Amino acid sequence: MKTSNIAIVTDSTADLPDHLTSALNIHVVPNLIIINGKSLVDGKDISRQDYYKRLPEMDPLPTTATASSGAYKQIYERLLQSGFNQVLSIHASKLLSGIFNAASVAAQSFGERIHVLDSEQASLGLGFQVLGAAEAALRGTSLDNILELAGDIRRRIRLVALLDTLEYIRRSGRVSWARARIGQILKIKPLVELKSGKVLSMGEARTFHKGLIRLLDILRSLGPLEQLGILHTNAEVAAHQLLNGLAPELPAEPLLINVTTVIGTHVGPGGLGFVAVVK
Amino acid sequence: MDADSPQMMHETRRLMVLKKSPIDGQALKRLAEAGLTWLRTNQQIVNSLNVFPVPDGDTGTNMVLTMQAAYEEISALEVQNFGQVAHAIAHGSLMGARGNSGVILSQLWRGFARSVDNQEYLDGPSMVRALVAARDTAYKGVVRPVEGTILTVAKDIAAAAEEALKKTDDPYEILKEIVAAAELSVQHTPELLPVLKEAGVVDAGGKGLFYIYEGMLRYANGQSIDSSAVILQPLATVVMENALESIEPGQDFEVVVDFHPNSQFDLDKYYRGLEEMGTSIQVGEGEGLYRVHIHVPTELRYEPIDFTMTMGTITKVAMENLIAQMEQREAPSRGSKLTLAPVEAGQIAVVAVSPGTGISRVFASLGAAAIVEGGQTMNPSTQEIIDAFENLPTEQIIILPNNKNIIGAAQSTSELTVKRVAVIPSRSVPQGLAAMLRLVPHGEFDEVVGDMTAALNEVETGEITKATRSVEINGVAAREGQYIGLLNGELVVSHPELEGTCLGLLEKGRASDFELITLFYGAALSKSEVNRIVDAIRLAYPNQEVEVQEGGQPHYQFIISIE
Repeated sequence: MKTSNIAIVTDSTADLPDHLTSALNIHVVPNLIIINGKSLVDGKDISRQDYYKRLPEMDPLPTTATASSGAYKQIYERLLQSGFNQVLSIHASKLLSGIFNAASVAAQSFGERIHVLDSEQASLGLGFQVLGAAEAALRGTSLDNILELAGDIRRRIRLVALLDTLEYIRRSGRVSWARARIGQILKIKPLVELKSGKVLSMGEARTFHKGLIRLLDILRSLGPLEQLGILHTNAEVAAHQLLNGLAPELPAEPLLINVTTVIGTHVGPGGLGFVAVVK
Repeated sequence: MDADSPQMMHETRRLMVLKKSPIDGQALKRLAEAGLTWLRTNQQIVNSLNVFPVPDGDTGTNMVLTMQAAYEEISALEVQNFGQVAHAIAHGSLMGARGNSGVILSQLWRGFARSVDNQEYLDGPSMVRALVAARDTAYKGVVRPVEGTILTVAKDIAAAAEEALKKTDDPYEILKEIVAAAELSVQHTPELLPVLKEAGVVDAGGKGLFYIYEGMLRYANGQSIDSSAVILQPLATVVMENALESIEPGQDFEVVVDFHPNSQFDLDKYYRGLEEMGTSIQVGEGEGLYRVHIHVPTELRYEPIDFTMTMGTITKVAMENLIAQMEQREAPSRGSKLTLAPVEAGQIAVVAVSPGTGISRVFASLGAAAIVEGGQTMNPSTQEIIDAFENLPTEQIIILPNNKNIIGAAQSTSELTVKRVAVIPSRSVPQGLAAMLRLVPHGEFDEVVGDMTAALNEVETGEITKATRSVEINGVAAREGQYIGLLNGELVVSHPELEGTCLGLLEKGRASDFELITLFYGAALSKSEVNRIVDAIRLAYPNQEVEVQEGGQPHYQFIISIE
């Protein structure tokens, strides 16, 4: 068995299930949720289900935080010392999160050996790029080729989501057009797309049901898919409705993910979306 | 209103003999003014010729404003060249075009102007050529020309002109012929357009065009053009609301009196008596009942009543303090625009036309880049729509007219801008909102236009208002003063109560087959009335979600979307 000499690092916003990260030797740096001054580790100290249930009542809204540069430095050091020649650290869009910056600052002291990559995505949009990179790394692929591969996957990714409300995105302050809107008057469910690192508006639907239909339409219009992940924030029933709507056209077993609280805080509960890698 | 105008007209009328002088640019100017004035005088008659008995009849006002914009372009022009003045008129009317009739009128002027080009004078043959060209341009400008409308009248005018040329080349004689032909053509429109026949009206746009030409002829004949003194209007046209003309100083009260005239009643004498007291006099008649409307100074406010009592039996009196009314009401937002959330350069910006401030806020909340507010009986002009988007930092513009009578003016904007403009033909606010929900600002232009257009059919539109006259259409008998409901523009229900009308409309619209009923309530309703009706609707439709929003629109108690 070839020993890979490139370590793949990502953070918890990649939303990759444990069984995949351990099988592919992916190192996941957890982010933090800060509720009433108390820091909790994303994925460990708090159940996602509980969190989304409580979220609408939380005041003030919890904040999210990246692991510190110090934490990244430690991980990089450990990996390099344990036999890896290089580290490829792939993270969520730097326009939406400070994670990329934290990792980049940490990487500076290691020179060429650490490469930090902006996935221009989040959740499984990041996750699928990480999976592809990790599989290639295990095969002993060179860094340049892995980067090319990740880029190719990135270009074929569509992430579209139907949210229950625009409020959480507005309050996150990270989406300028949402901030500029004068606030929801009509009962609507916003549709958004994550593209080129930014959250873009895809219009709205008047009811969740109509939004679901639009989501299905968009998904179907993509053609044959290489990979599919269904994302939700405590909306499992809707997630299955989406899956059922696709049933005969599905590729291999799609991932069904209750999204990381770090992302969920900024989109709110009751959201539903997909990440598709088109063929 | 131009204070000089009546005097100036009086003078030149005496001097003007159309027959003997060559028709140059200055003569065209006076003729255009005459056409405008006579149309304005009869504006309300044209407004009342709605197919549906709905209160927002605006064809007359739209055509007046279009002609006014045309006239403003030439009023200071001193050139003698006929063609140059014609071109200026065409340009002015294009910019100021409001409503579909206004747009077609601007197309008629354009065809006319192009034909006369640079001519110094107009003679018989060139006049006829120009009228033919006007007709052609107008027809070409409409995707699906409908006969029995202003187009037909323009067509009949051109035909009459060609006929007349066989016998004479005197422009005055030709004008006489075309005015006669226009009058007949207008009367004939119900034969060509069944819905006019059913509604018992002639085509409004055609009538407006007739008045413009008739005004020119009356001017040439030395007849009066700015008082409708002895013309008895249909009762419904005598409006209780404030007319659009600014209130003249000294006219503080609006007095409306309904009465049955006695046997010695003499309309002329009555009118002369009223003229001594005040202005803005209208006398209407319907089924033996007369209604007079007049503006008088405070100290004379009882005069019209006392005077009318000598002429017959009074059944109703209404008096309104105009100054107090004006101060109370906020400045009418005539074509005012509201700029909103910033547009990112290079993305698609949507301009939405809105009939009410509540509705404007909804469009704003959905990401509209600019809102143009239509006025009470007035649609925004092409220029006003352009002003809303010209300075936005993007070349990609989508317009939502949200009213079938604004689509034409919206489409005209593409001729006056270098930006890429697409008009989604939304005929109502619910349609416009359905399209708005499909906006993807960073999307590919044609694809987004396609998606937004497809969305128009995904919603049913309901409109509730009060019938302005009694009429039977589509098997539905509407009674003046009662409520009527229109579903997707068709009259489907009439009922004495607002609640009954709403429920009737929802039933006709098969609301029980849909998910969501949204009600936008108009400016005329109180919150408690709205709540009462919404409760009734919720009771009748327990399986549907019922949402209520403040619309703020005039004329329509409710605008309803069923989806």
